[in-house]
Amino acid sequence: MENTNNSKKLDKRTLLKSFHRWFWGALTCFSQEHMQTFGYMASMLPILKKLYPNHKDQVKAIKAYTAFFNTNPMLGTVIVGITASMEQARANGKEIDGETINDMRAGLMGPIAGIGDSLIDGTLIPILLGISLGMSTGGSPLGAIFYIVAWVLIAYFGQRFLYFRGYHFGDQAVSFLVGKQGAAIRRAIGIVGSMVVGGVLASWVNVTTSLKLYGANGKVFLNLQNKLDSIYPGLLTVIVTLFCWWLMTKKHVSAIWTMLLLVVISLIGVLVGFFNPGLSY
Amino acid sequence: MTISWIQAAMLGLFACLCSNSCMAGQAVGNYTIGRPLVGGLICGLILGDLQLGIACGVAMQLVYIALVTPGGTVSADVRAISYIGIPLAMVAIASQGLNPLGGSAANLAKSVGTLVGTVGTVLYYAVATMNLVWQSFGWKDVHNGKLNKLTAVNFGWPWISHAIFSFLPTMFLTYYGATAVTALRNALPMDGVAMKTLFTVGGMLPCVGIAILLRQIIGRTTDFIPFLVGFTLAASLGLNLVSVTVVSLLFAVIMYEVEMSKGGKQGNSTVPEGPNDDDEEDI
Repeated sequence: MENTNNSKKLDKRTLLKSFHRWFWGALTCFSQEHMQTFGYMASMLPILKKLYPNHKDQVKAIKAYTAFFNTNPMLGTVIVGITASMEQARANGKEIDGETINDMRAGLMGPIAGIGDSLIDGTLIPILLGISLGMSTGGSPLGAIFYIVAWVLIAYFGQRFLYFRGYHFGDQAVSFLVGKQGAAIRRAIGIVGSMVVGGVLASWVNVTTSLKLYGANGKVFLNLQNKLDSIYPGLLTVIVTLFCWWLMTKKHVSAIWTMLLLVVISLIGVLVGFFNPGLSY
Repeated sequence: MTISWIQAAMLGLFACLCSNSCMAGQAVGNYTIGRPLVGGLICGLILGDLQLGIACGVAMQLVYIALVTPGGTVSADVRAISYIGIPLAMVAIASQGLNPLGGSAANLAKSVGTLVGTVGTVLYYAVATMNLVWQSFGWKDVHNGKLNKLTAVNFGWPWISHAIFSFLPTMFLTYYGATAVTALRNALPMDGVAMKTLFTVGGMLPCVGIAILLRQIIGRTTDFIPFLVGFTLAASLGLNLVSVTVVSLLFAVIMYEVEMSKGGKQGNSTVPEGPNDDDEEDI
């Protein structure tokens, strides 16, 4: 879909305008029913106006984008770039119709959402936040500022890169994400994600017990926390986490009910002396 | 510590900018302004106690370090966590006279913030539902060929949804909530069972956040192994997060090569990069 009969070509200004509309507005008019559909239409509008001077053609062209759309908004930018190039090809008389465009969008939004959620929400953001939290320990604003700068730069230029990659390479831009290579990448990212999440849990969460058993002479003969630490440091933290995972995944308990169950467990634990946060004024 | 109407209104404005389906764009709004760590910074600036704000933000961020919203389903709402939960937690900690940097203050922040954040999911669905009205305008515009109006549908009208379901609830809940939270001090003594439970829950809540993420990334039982290795590296060997990441990259490369060499010949052998890690600019 490149350099044949380039009678109509999108200039960089139009493409940037379309990209910015996606960057700022992918989800502004969100509803459960149509999700990102309106964000998509709004970002295609500059493209359509540029390619089709005739108002009737614009109205006809936008019909393709009224279909349901939802994906990971960061990685999904590449799809908007791809449709920009497809739309340009269509305007130049190539045999592309709205259905072709929609098949591409529908085919990509699932895999892109899956990879984007695990790559960005599940791996990149926890790493960035983990570093930033370390910098903000003790109430310093440094970590928060670092996160703002690092993430906004990565998000803006990363998405911009993806948009233009989609525009220049068409669906070739994401061919490596589907098929065998895509599966291998997902497995590899999954490893990084799982290990980072494990590291986050160990670094920042610490569930401990205050249970101590006293002998007849008033001396502690069992300090459960010390015992557990000598078996596997952080054992209770792992157990509570895996318990929550088990409830939500295997028993299909919602996150809210899981939290409420933790309240009950904490209450019982406090009453029997298993938990004691050691409060004082 | 009290919250004035002006401060409450400023918190309300940030709530509009940051919620899921936010007015400041997903990357800047939801992923930056909405993160509790950043929310802590902003609330600290608005309420005039930066250190306490950041400390609450750090505590809350732990619960929601891996907030994923698969398919648009939310279990917590960032506008409620960051701009209702954090201010109220700050007031609660200040009125209890706790050391802002202590573990007790952090656990109190987690309990208050998570409670508010969970209840706040109502706001998320309310905005998404009200947006259906503007979308119905949009469908009419598309039908009648008034394409220019789509810009207002996407960028303008949703402000009304947020004015009603982000701005007003945040303003009223922080203003009146501050008084209620302060009154709580006398009702619930620190060494009572209720407070002890609240603090214990606060310490455990991040486990739910991590478990939500695990639900996304664990496909088969063996996927727990890298998770536990990462945990062990940090808990037993004391590596920090960047070091854990570097070690994990080695396993990722090995896994990639193994997967690619399955079934023999394969033309493309380039080592992949995460597409979004690449911040170089094309053109």
